[in-house]
Amino acid sequence: MARIVVITSGKGGVGKTTTSAAMATGLALEGHKTAVIDFDVGLRNLDLIMGCERRVVYDFVNVINGDASLRQALIKDKRTENLFILPASQTRDKDALTEEGVGQVLDELSQEFDYILCDSPAGIERGALMAAYFADEAVVVTNPEVSSVRDSDRMLGILASKTRKAEQGEGPLPSRLLLTRYAPERVDKGEMLSVEDVVEILSIEMLGVVPESQSVLNASNAGMPVILDKESDAGQAYSDAVARFLGEERPHRFLTAQKKGILGRLFKG
Amino acid sequence: MNAHSSPIQPIEFKGRMILVSILRLHDADPQRLHDAMDARLREAPDLMRDMPLLVDVEPLAGTLPETLIQVVQEIRQHGFKLIGLHSGTVAQTIAEGTGLPVIVLGGKTGAEVPLRHATPRESGTVETPAPPQEQATTLQFLHTPSLVVNQPVRSGQQVYARGGDLIVLGTVSAGAELLADGHIHVYGTLRGKALAGVRGLVGARIFCRRLDAELISIAGHYRIAEDILDAERGENRLVTLAGETINISEI
Repeated sequence: MARIVVITSGKGGVGKTTTSAAMATGLALEGHKTAVIDFDVGLRNLDLIMGCERRVVYDFVNVINGDASLRQALIKDKRTENLFILPASQTRDKDALTEEGVGQVLDELSQEFDYILCDSPAGIERGALMAAYFADEAVVVTNPEVSSVRDSDRMLGILASKTRKAEQGEGPLPSRLLLTRYAPERVDKGEMLSVEDVVEILSIEMLGVVPESQSVLNASNAGMPVILDKESDAGQAYSDAVARFLGEERPHRFLTAQKKGILGRLFKG
Repeated sequence: MNAHSSPIQPIEFKGRMILVSILRLHDADPQRLHDAMDARLREAPDLMRDMPLLVDVEPLAGTLPETLIQVVQEIRQHGFKLIGLHSGTVAQTIAEGTGLPVIVLGGKTGAEVPLRHATPRESGTVETPAPPQEQATTLQFLHTPSLVVNQPVRSGQQVYARGGDLIVLGTVSAGAELLADGHIHVYGTLRGKALAGVRGLVGARIFCRRLDAELISIAGHYRIAEDILDAERGENRLVTLAGETINISEI
Protein backbone atom coordinates (compact mmCIF):
# COMPACT_ATOMS: atom_id res chain seq x y z
CA MET A 1 0.00 0.00 0.00
CA ALA A 2 1.27 3.41 -0.91
CA ARG A 3 1.58 6.25 1.51
CA ILE A 4 -0.49 9.21 0.28
CA VAL A 5 1.00 12.63 1.00
CA VAL A 6 -0.70 15.93 0.24
CA ILE A 7 1.42 19.00 -0.47
CA THR A 8 -0.78 21.92 0.45
CA SER A 9 -0.73 25.50 1.75
CA GLY A 10 -3.92 27.51 1.45
CA LYS A 11 -2.17 30.45 -0.15
CA GLY A 12 -1.04 30.40 -3.77
CA GLY A 13 2.44 30.99 -5.08
CA VAL A 14 4.26 29.74 -2.01
CA GLY A 15 5.95 26.80 -3.72
CA LYS A 16 3.60 23.82 -3.55
CA THR A 17 4.32 22.60 -7.05
CA THR A 18 8.08 23.22 -6.73
CA THR A 19 7.97 21.24 -3.49
CA SER A 20 5.86 18.44 -4.98
CA ALA A 21 8.28 18.07 -7.88
CA ALA A 22 11.34 18.20 -5.62
CA MET A 23 10.03 15.81 -3.00
CA ALA A 24 8.67 13.31 -5.53
CA THR A 25 12.03 13.31 -7.29
CA GLY A 26 13.86 12.99 -3.96
CA LEU A 27 11.76 10.02 -2.89
CA ALA A 28 12.28 8.33 -6.27
CA LEU A 29 16.04 8.95 -6.04
CA GLU A 30 15.98 7.08 -2.73
CA GLY A 31 14.53 4.10 -4.58
CA HIS A 32 10.85 4.51 -3.68
CA LYS A 33 8.41 4.11 -6.52
CA THR A 34 6.64 7.46 -6.53
CA ALA A 35 3.70 9.02 -8.36
CA VAL A 36 2.97 12.73 -8.22
CA ILE A 37 -0.52 13.96 -9.13
CA ASP A 38 -1.41 17.49 -10.19
CA PHE A 39 -4.75 18.33 -8.53
CA ASP A 40 -4.78 21.85 -9.94
CA VAL A 41 -7.35 21.01 -12.60
CA GLY A 42 -7.73 23.93 -14.98
CA LEU A 43 -4.29 25.39 -14.24
CA ARG A 44 -1.79 22.73 -15.22
CA ASN A 45 1.68 23.50 -13.81
CA LEU A 46 3.35 20.39 -12.47
CA ASP A 47 4.20 18.99 -15.90
CA LEU A 48 6.02 22.25 -16.71
CA ILE A 49 8.10 22.15 -13.54
CA MET A 50 8.86 18.48 -14.19
CA GLY A 51 9.70 19.19 -17.82
CA CYS A 52 7.29 16.68 -19.30
CA GLU A 53 4.66 19.04 -20.72
CA ARG A 54 5.30 17.89 -24.27
CA ARG A 55 4.46 14.31 -23.45
CA VAL A 56 1.01 14.87 -21.92
CA VAL A 57 -1.65 12.87 -23.79
CA TYR A 58 -4.21 11.93 -21.17
CA ASP A 59 -4.74 13.51 -17.79
CA PHE A 60 -6.13 12.95 -14.30
CA VAL A 61 -9.71 13.86 -15.28
CA ASN A 62 -9.57 11.48 -18.28
CA VAL A 63 -8.73 8.68 -15.87
CA ILE A 64 -11.47 9.66 -13.43
CA ASN A 65 -14.02 9.70 -16.27
CA GLY A 66 -12.81 6.38 -17.61
CA ASP A 67 -11.66 7.86 -20.94
CA ALA A 68 -8.14 6.55 -20.39
CA SER A 69 -6.46 3.99 -18.18
CA LEU A 70 -3.97 4.98 -15.52
CA ARG A 71 -1.23 3.28 -17.50
CA GLN A 72 -1.99 5.49 -20.49
CA ALA A 73 -2.09 8.70 -18.49
CA LEU A 74 0.94 8.22 -16.23
CA ILE A 75 4.06 9.86 -17.64
CA LYS A 76 7.35 8.18 -16.81
CA ASP A 77 10.01 10.69 -15.84
CA LYS A 78 12.98 10.63 -18.19
CA ARG A 79 15.61 11.73 -15.68
CA THR A 80 14.67 9.77 -12.60
CA GLU A 81 13.88 6.08 -12.25
CA ASN A 82 10.76 5.13 -10.27
CA LEU A 83 9.08 8.47 -10.88
CA PHE A 84 5.72 8.99 -12.60
CA ILE A 85 3.59 12.07 -13.17
CA LEU A 86 -0.18 12.26 -13.51
CA PRO A 87 -0.87 15.68 -15.05
CA ALA A 88 -3.94 17.85 -14.50
CA SER A 89 -6.48 18.60 -17.16
CA GLN A 90 -6.36 22.11 -18.52
CA THR A 91 -9.76 22.09 -20.15
CA ARG A 92 -11.89 21.09 -17.18
CA ASP A 93 -12.63 22.63 -13.83
CA LYS A 94 -12.30 21.23 -10.35
CA ASP A 95 -15.87 19.92 -10.24
CA ALA A 96 -14.55 17.04 -12.33
CA LEU A 97 -12.80 15.79 -9.19
CA THR A 98 -15.40 13.56 -7.57
CA GLU A 99 -14.68 11.89 -4.28
CA GLU A 100 -15.46 8.50 -5.76
CA GLY A 101 -13.30 9.06 -8.84
CA VAL A 102 -10.30 10.39 -6.92
CA GLY A 103 -10.62 7.54 -4.43
CA GLN A 104 -10.59 4.95 -7.20
CA VAL A 105 -7.53 6.43 -8.92
CA LEU A 106 -5.64 6.57 -5.61
CA ASP A 107 -6.64 3.00 -4.79
CA GLU A 108 -5.35 1.78 -8.11
CA LEU A 109 -2.09 3.71 -7.76
CA SER A 110 -1.69 2.37 -4.22
CA GLN A 111 -1.32 -1.17 -5.55
CA GLU A 112 1.81 -0.29 -7.43
CA PHE A 113 3.50 2.68 -5.77
CA ASP A 114 5.30 3.35 -2.48
CA TYR A 115 4.45 7.04 -2.33
CA ILE A 116 1.71 9.12 -3.94
CA LEU A 117 2.19 12.88 -3.72
CA CYS A 118 -0.87 15.04 -4.27
CA ASP A 119 0.03 18.54 -5.46
CA SER A 120 -2.87 20.61 -4.11
CA PRO A 121 -4.22 23.74 -5.77
CA ALA A 122 -4.31 26.95 -3.74
CA GLY A 123 -7.41 27.86 -1.80
CA ILE A 124 -9.66 25.78 0.39
CA GLU A 125 -12.20 24.80 -2.25
CA ARG A 126 -13.00 21.50 -3.89
CA GLY A 127 -9.64 20.87 -5.57
CA ALA A 128 -7.70 21.43 -2.35
CA LEU A 129 -10.17 19.41 -0.30
CA MET A 130 -10.00 16.48 -2.73
CA ALA A 131 -6.18 16.55 -2.77
CA ALA A 132 -6.17 16.30 1.02
CA TYR A 133 -9.14 14.02 1.61
CA PHE A 134 -7.47 10.63 1.16
CA ALA A 135 -4.04 11.62 2.49
CA ASP A 136 -2.14 9.73 5.17
CA GLU A 137 -0.08 12.80 5.97
CA ALA A 138 0.45 16.37 4.87
CA VAL A 139 3.32 18.68 4.07
CA VAL A 140 2.18 22.27 4.54
CA VAL A 141 4.20 24.74 2.49
CA THR A 142 4.46 28.22 3.99
CA ASN A 143 6.37 31.43 3.26
CA PRO A 144 7.63 33.40 6.24
CA GLU A 145 5.07 36.18 6.01
CA VAL A 146 1.87 36.72 7.97
CA SER A 147 -0.78 36.06 5.33
CA SER A 148 0.84 32.82 4.22
CA VAL A 149 1.14 31.67 7.83
CA ARG A 150 -2.49 32.51 8.53
CA ASP A 151 -3.67 30.60 5.44
CA SER A 152 -1.57 27.61 6.43
CA ASP A 153 -3.15 27.73 9.85
CA ARG A 154 -6.58 27.65 8.23
CA MET A 155 -5.48 24.72 6.08
CA LEU A 156 -4.18 22.85 9.15
CA GLY A 157 -7.62 23.26 10.68
CA ILE A 158 -9.20 21.76 7.59
CA LEU A 159 -6.69 18.89 7.61
CA ALA A 160 -7.68 18.25 11.23
CA SER A 161 -11.39 17.99 10.48
CA LYS A 162 -12.23 17.41 6.83
CA THR A 163 -10.03 14.50 5.75
CA ARG A 164 -11.03 10.86 5.61
CA LYS A 165 -8.79 10.11 8.58
CA ALA A 166 -10.48 12.81 10.67
CA GLU A 167 -13.95 11.72 9.57
CA GLN A 168 -13.14 8.14 10.59
CA GLY A 169 -12.15 9.41 14.02
CA GLU A 170 -8.44 8.80 13.63
CA GLY A 171 -7.68 12.35 14.71
CA PRO A 172 -6.04 15.16 12.81
CA LEU A 173 -3.91 14.39 9.79
CA PRO A 174 -0.21 14.18 10.73
CA SER A 175 1.19 17.39 9.24
CA ARG A 176 4.64 18.89 8.94
CA LEU A 177 5.77 22.30 7.81
CA LEU A 178 8.05 23.21 4.95
CA LEU A 179 9.12 26.84 5.10
CA THR A 180 10.14 28.09 1.66
CA ARG A 181 11.63 31.33 0.31
CA TYR A 182 13.39 31.89 3.61
CA ALA A 183 15.81 34.84 3.58
CA PRO A 184 17.86 35.03 6.80
CA GLU A 185 19.17 38.53 5.97
CA ARG A 186 15.62 39.84 5.82
CA VAL A 187 14.73 38.06 9.06
CA ASP A 188 17.71 39.82 10.71
CA LYS A 189 16.37 43.15 9.47
CA GLY A 190 12.95 42.34 10.90
CA GLU A 191 11.33 42.25 7.46
CA MET A 192 10.39 38.60 7.61
CA LEU A 193 9.09 36.16 10.21
CA SER A 194 11.77 33.89 11.68
CA VAL A 195 11.60 30.09 11.78
CA GLU A 196 10.91 30.32 15.51
CA ASP A 197 8.01 32.75 14.97
CA VAL A 198 6.38 30.51 12.39
CA VAL A 199 6.78 27.35 14.47
CA GLU A 200 5.40 29.17 17.50
CA ILE A 201 2.34 30.46 15.64
CA LEU A 202 1.52 27.20 13.89
CA SER A 203 2.62 24.77 16.64
CA ILE A 204 3.73 22.17 14.13
CA GLU A 205 6.85 20.13 13.44
CA MET A 206 9.31 21.57 10.90
CA LEU A 207 10.21 19.29 8.01
CA GLY A 208 12.57 21.71 6.34
CA VAL A 209 13.54 25.28 5.57
CA VAL A 210 14.27 26.10 1.93
CA PRO A 211 16.15 29.35 1.38
CA GLU A 212 15.05 31.95 -1.16
CA SER A 213 17.20 31.13 -4.15
CA GLN A 214 17.67 32.02 -7.77
CA SER A 215 18.24 28.31 -8.41
CA VAL A 216 14.52 27.61 -7.84
CA LEU A 217 13.52 29.97 -10.62
CA ASN A 218 16.25 28.68 -12.92
CA ALA A 219 15.16 25.09 -12.30
CA SER A 220 11.48 25.92 -12.95
CA ASN A 221 12.34 27.64 -16.21
CA ALA A 222 14.45 24.67 -17.26
CA GLY A 223 11.67 22.21 -16.34
CA MET A 224 13.91 20.42 -13.89
CA PRO A 225 13.06 19.71 -10.22
CA VAL A 226 15.42 21.90 -8.16
CA ILE A 227 16.46 18.95 -6.00
CA LEU A 228 18.50 17.71 -8.97
CA ASP A 229 20.64 20.87 -8.76
CA LYS A 230 22.92 19.45 -6.09
CA GLU A 231 25.13 22.53 -6.02
CA SER A 232 22.31 24.87 -5.04
CA ASP A 233 21.30 25.67 -1.47
CA ALA A 234 17.60 25.10 -2.28
CA GLY A 235 18.36 21.72 -3.85
CA GLN A 236 20.33 20.66 -0.78
CA ALA A 237 17.59 21.91 1.54
CA TYR A 238 15.04 19.77 -0.33
CA SER A 239 17.36 16.74 -0.10
CA ASP A 240 17.52 17.28 3.65
CA ALA A 241 13.74 17.57 3.84
CA VAL A 242 13.28 14.30 1.94
CA ALA A 243 15.77 12.57 4.25
CA ARG A 244 13.87 13.87 7.29
CA PHE A 245 10.61 12.81 5.67
CA LEU A 246 11.99 9.28 5.48
CA GLY A 247 12.87 9.33 9.15
CA GLU A 248 16.49 10.44 9.11
CA GLU A 249 17.60 13.13 11.54
CA ARG A 250 19.43 16.00 9.94
CA PRO A 251 20.24 19.44 11.33
CA HIS A 252 18.52 22.39 9.63
CA ARG A 253 20.83 24.41 7.38
CA PHE A 254 20.61 27.80 5.68
CA LEU A 255 19.01 29.42 8.73
CA THR A 256 21.56 32.17 9.22
CA ALA A 257 22.71 34.93 6.91
CA GLN A 258 25.95 34.28 5.07
CA LYS A 259 28.57 36.91 5.71
CA LYS A 260 29.62 38.12 2.32
CA GLY A 261 33.26 38.99 1.64
CA ILE A 262 34.31 42.02 -0.34
CA LEU A 263 34.25 40.05 -3.59
CA GLY A 264 30.81 38.67 -2.81
CA ARG A 265 29.53 42.17 -2.23
CA LEU A 266 31.07 43.41 -5.45
CA PHE A 267 29.52 40.64 -7.50
CA LYS A 268 26.30 40.39 -5.48
CA GLY A 269 26.92 36.65 -5.40
CA MET B 1 -47.09 12.41 57.17
CA ASN B 2 -47.03 16.16 57.59
CA ALA B 3 -47.87 17.88 54.32
CA HIS B 4 -45.66 20.90 55.14
CA SER B 5 -42.48 18.87 55.30
CA SER B 6 -42.51 18.04 51.60
CA PRO B 7 -39.41 19.75 50.12
CA ILE B 8 -40.63 19.86 46.53
CA GLN B 9 -43.12 22.50 45.43
CA PRO B 10 -44.90 21.86 42.13
CA ILE B 11 -43.94 25.28 40.82
CA GLU B 12 -41.55 28.02 41.80
CA PHE B 13 -40.97 31.54 40.45
CA LYS B 14 -37.42 32.82 40.19
CA GLY B 15 -36.08 36.14 38.96
CA ARG B 16 -33.14 36.00 36.57
CA MET B 17 -31.47 38.38 34.17
CA ILE B 18 -31.09 37.27 30.60
CA LEU B 19 -29.08 38.70 27.78
CA VAL B 20 -31.32 39.46 24.86
CA SER B 21 -30.45 40.47 21.33
CA ILE B 22 -32.59 42.71 19.21
CA LEU B 23 -33.23 41.82 15.60
CA ARG B 24 -33.92 45.07 13.81
CA LEU B 25 -35.65 44.77 10.44
CA HIS B 26 -34.86 47.28 7.74
CA ASP B 27 -36.52 45.51 4.88
CA ALA B 28 -39.80 43.66 4.54
CA ASP B 29 -38.93 41.95 1.25
CA PRO B 30 -39.32 38.21 1.95
CA GLN B 31 -36.49 37.08 -0.37
CA ARG B 32 -33.92 39.55 0.93
CA LEU B 33 -34.86 38.74 4.53
CA HIS B 34 -34.62 35.05 3.77
CA ASP B 35 -31.13 35.42 2.29
CA ALA B 36 -29.91 37.63 5.11
CA MET B 37 -31.17 35.24 7.78
CA ASP B 38 -29.66 32.24 6.03
CA ALA B 39 -26.32 33.99 5.87
CA ARG B 40 -26.36 34.80 9.57
CA LEU B 41 -27.45 31.32 10.55
CA ARG B 42 -24.62 29.80 8.56
CA GLU B 43 -22.10 31.89 10.49
CA ALA B 44 -22.95 30.40 13.85
CA PRO B 45 -25.91 28.06 13.64
CA ASP B 46 -25.73 26.82 17.23
CA LEU B 47 -25.46 30.21 18.74
CA MET B 48 -28.13 31.83 16.57
CA ARG B 49 -30.71 29.12 17.11
CA ASP B 50 -30.56 29.39 20.89
CA MET B 51 -30.32 33.14 21.10
CA PRO B 52 -33.39 34.80 22.64
CA LEU B 53 -34.45 37.58 20.27
CA LEU B 54 -36.62 40.64 20.34
CA VAL B 55 -37.86 41.85 16.99
CA ASP B 56 -37.70 45.56 16.32
CA VAL B 57 -40.11 46.44 13.49
CA GLU B 58 -40.09 50.20 14.03
CA PRO B 59 -37.93 50.95 10.94
CA LEU B 60 -40.70 49.34 8.87
CA ALA B 61 -43.40 51.83 9.88
CA GLY B 62 -45.73 52.21 6.91
CA THR B 63 -45.66 48.53 5.99
CA LEU B 64 -49.02 46.76 6.21
CA PRO B 65 -49.55 44.95 9.53
CA GLU B 66 -50.45 41.76 7.62
CA THR B 67 -47.10 41.84 5.84
CA LEU B 68 -45.28 42.38 9.12
CA ILE B 69 -47.07 39.46 10.75
CA GLN B 70 -45.97 37.29 7.84
CA VAL B 71 -42.40 38.51 8.18
CA VAL B 72 -42.34 37.61 11.88
CA GLN B 73 -43.73 34.20 11.02
CA GLU B 74 -40.98 33.77 8.45
CA ILE B 75 -38.31 34.62 11.03
CA ARG B 76 -39.71 31.98 13.37
CA GLN B 77 -39.69 29.41 10.61
CA HIS B 78 -36.00 30.03 10.19
CA GLY B 79 -35.48 28.72 13.68
CA PHE B 80 -34.87 31.98 15.51
CA LYS B 81 -36.27 31.98 19.04
CA LEU B 82 -38.46 35.07 19.27
CA ILE B 83 -39.50 36.12 22.75
CA GLY B 84 -41.21 39.38 21.99
CA LEU B 85 -41.51 42.61 20.05
CA HIS B 86 -39.42 45.61 20.91
CA SER B 87 -41.85 48.25 22.14
CA GLY B 88 -43.05 50.91 19.72
CA THR B 89 -46.11 52.07 17.86
CA VAL B 90 -45.73 49.59 15.02
CA ALA B 91 -45.16 46.74 17.47
CA GLN B 92 -48.50 47.45 19.18
CA THR B 93 -50.40 46.99 15.92
CA ILE B 94 -49.06 43.50 15.28
CA ALA B 95 -48.72 42.19 18.85
CA GLU B 96 -51.99 40.35 18.74
CA GLY B 97 -51.49 38.99 15.26
CA THR B 98 -48.07 37.56 16.04
CA GLY B 99 -48.93 36.36 19.51
CA LEU B 100 -45.78 38.00 20.86
CA PRO B 101 -45.65 40.25 23.93
CA VAL B 102 -44.46 43.83 23.50
CA ILE B 103 -41.43 44.32 25.71
CA VAL B 104 -40.10 47.64 26.97
CA LEU B 105 -36.36 47.71 27.45
CA GLY B 106 -33.92 50.03 29.11
CA GLY B 107 -33.65 52.09 32.25
CA LYS B 108 -35.26 50.84 35.41
CA THR B 109 -38.60 50.42 33.77
CA GLY B 110 -37.64 47.03 32.45
CA ALA B 111 -40.76 45.04 31.86
CA GLU B 112 -41.15 41.44 32.71
CA VAL B 113 -39.17 39.19 30.49
CA PRO B 114 -40.59 35.74 30.11
CA LEU B 115 -38.32 33.10 31.52
CA ARG B 116 -37.17 30.44 29.22
CA HIS B 117 -34.88 27.49 29.35
CA ALA B 118 -32.93 26.66 26.25
CA THR B 119 -33.11 22.98 25.66
CA PRO B 120 -29.80 21.50 24.55
CA ARG B 121 -30.06 20.00 21.13
CA GLU B 122 -27.91 17.89 18.90
CA SER B 123 -25.26 20.11 17.39
CA GLY B 124 -25.21 20.66 13.65
CA THR B 125 -21.67 21.85 12.98
CA VAL B 126 -18.60 19.71 12.88
CA GLU B 127 -16.38 21.77 15.10
CA THR B 128 -18.80 22.17 17.95
CA PRO B 129 -19.60 18.85 19.52
CA ALA B 130 -22.42 19.20 22.04
CA PRO B 131 -21.58 17.86 25.46
CA PRO B 132 -22.93 14.36 25.87
CA GLN B 133 -26.33 14.37 27.48
CA GLU B 134 -26.38 12.35 30.62
CA GLN B 135 -29.54 11.15 32.25
CA ALA B 136 -29.66 13.19 35.40
CA THR B 137 -31.46 11.18 37.99
CA THR B 138 -31.18 13.78 40.71
CA LEU B 139 -31.18 17.45 39.90
CA GLN B 140 -28.94 18.05 42.91
CA PHE B 141 -25.92 16.53 41.18
CA LEU B 142 -26.59 17.96 37.76
CA HIS B 143 -23.23 18.70 36.19
CA THR B 144 -22.58 20.21 32.81
CA PRO B 145 -19.43 18.67 31.43
CA SER B 146 -16.72 21.04 30.25
CA LEU B 147 -15.61 20.77 26.66
CA VAL B 148 -11.91 19.94 26.50
CA VAL B 149 -10.05 20.54 23.23
CA ASN B 150 -6.66 18.84 22.97
CA GLN B 151 -5.64 20.25 19.61
CA PRO B 152 -4.73 23.76 18.59
CA VAL B 153 -7.78 25.74 17.44
CA ARG B 154 -6.89 26.99 13.98
CA SER B 155 -7.88 30.02 11.97
CA GLY B 156 -11.44 29.61 10.70
CA GLN B 157 -12.45 27.10 13.34
CA GLN B 158 -15.15 27.79 15.88
CA VAL B 159 -15.62 25.87 19.11
CA TYR B 160 -18.68 26.36 21.28
CA ALA B 161 -19.01 24.84 24.74
CA ARG B 162 -22.75 24.77 25.15
CA GLY B 163 -23.94 25.03 28.71
CA GLY B 164 -20.48 24.81 30.25
CA ASP B 165 -16.83 25.72 30.29
CA LEU B 166 -14.36 25.44 27.46
CA ILE B 167 -10.82 24.27 28.07
CA VAL B 168 -8.29 24.48 25.24
CA LEU B 169 -4.90 22.88 25.83
CA GLY B 170 -3.25 24.23 22.69
CA THR B 171 -2.89 27.54 20.96
CA VAL B 172 -5.84 29.50 19.60
CA SER B 173 -4.82 31.08 16.30
CA ALA B 174 -5.76 34.45 14.94
CA GLY B 175 -9.04 33.97 13.08
CA ALA B 176 -10.25 31.22 15.42
CA GLU B 177 -13.23 31.71 17.69
CA LEU B 178 -13.99 30.27 21.11
CA LEU B 179 -17.47 30.49 22.60
CA ALA B 180 -18.66 29.19 25.94
CA ASP B 181 -21.69 29.61 28.12
CA GLY B 182 -19.30 29.43 31.07
CA HIS B 183 -15.59 30.16 31.53
CA ILE B 184 -12.87 29.81 28.91
CA HIS B 185 -9.42 28.45 29.74
CA VAL B 186 -6.62 28.53 27.20
CA TYR B 187 -3.34 26.82 28.08
CA GLY B 188 -1.57 28.04 24.95
CA THR B 189 -1.47 31.50 23.44
CA LEU B 190 -4.84 33.10 22.77
CA ARG B 191 -4.55 34.98 19.47
CA GLY B 192 -8.11 34.56 18.23
CA LYS B 193 -11.45 35.60 19.69
CA ALA B 194 -12.77 34.37 23.01
CA LEU B 195 -16.36 34.95 24.08
CA ALA B 196 -17.25 33.68 27.55
CA GLY B 197 -20.73 33.70 29.06
CA VAL B 198 -22.32 34.07 25.65
CA ARG B 199 -25.78 33.46 27.07
CA GLY B 200 -25.40 36.18 29.62
CA LEU B 201 -23.35 34.78 32.51
CA VAL B 202 -21.69 37.97 33.79
CA GLY B 203 -19.49 36.03 36.21
CA ALA B 204 -17.83 34.14 33.35
CA ARG B 205 -14.08 34.63 33.01
CA ILE B 206 -11.35 34.00 30.49
CA PHE B 207 -8.08 32.54 31.72
CA CYS B 208 -5.11 32.22 29.42
CA ARG B 209 -1.46 31.33 29.56
CA ARG B 210 -0.69 34.13 27.11
CA LEU B 211 -3.09 36.80 25.90
CA ASP B 212 -2.70 38.29 22.44
CA ALA B 213 -6.36 38.19 21.44
CA GLU B 214 -8.29 39.74 18.56
CA LEU B 215 -11.36 40.11 20.73
CA ILE B 216 -12.39 39.21 24.25
CA SER B 217 -15.98 39.24 25.40
CA ILE B 218 -17.91 38.38 28.52
CA ALA B 219 -21.72 38.27 28.54
CA GLY B 220 -21.95 40.40 25.43
CA HIS B 221 -19.53 43.13 26.57
CA TYR B 222 -16.40 43.10 24.54
CA ARG B 223 -13.04 44.68 23.73
CA ILE B 224 -11.43 44.42 20.32
CA ALA B 225 -7.69 44.12 19.71
CA GLU B 226 -7.34 47.86 19.26
CA ASP B 227 -8.72 48.48 22.74
CA ILE B 228 -6.39 45.99 24.41
CA LEU B 229 -3.24 47.81 25.52
CA ASP B 230 0.19 46.34 24.97
CA ALA B 231 0.68 46.34 28.73
CA GLU B 232 -2.46 44.27 29.14
CA ARG B 233 -1.24 41.63 26.73
CA GLY B 234 1.18 39.07 28.05
CA GLU B 235 1.50 35.96 30.13
CA ASN B 236 -1.01 34.52 32.61
CA ARG B 237 -3.97 36.82 32.08
CA LEU B 238 -7.41 36.82 33.59
CA VAL B 239 -10.32 38.58 31.91
CA THR B 240 -13.30 39.55 34.05
CA LEU B 241 -16.38 41.72 33.73
CA ALA B 242 -17.11 44.41 36.32
CA GLY B 243 -20.32 46.22 35.58
CA GLU B 244 -19.91 47.04 31.91
CA THR B 245 -16.12 47.09 31.88
CA ILE B 246 -13.91 44.27 30.71
CA ASN B 247 -10.87 44.07 32.99
CA ILE B 248 -7.62 42.30 32.21
CA SER B 249 -5.34 41.40 35.09
CA GLU B 250 -2.41 39.17 35.79
CA ILE B 251 -3.16 35.91 37.54
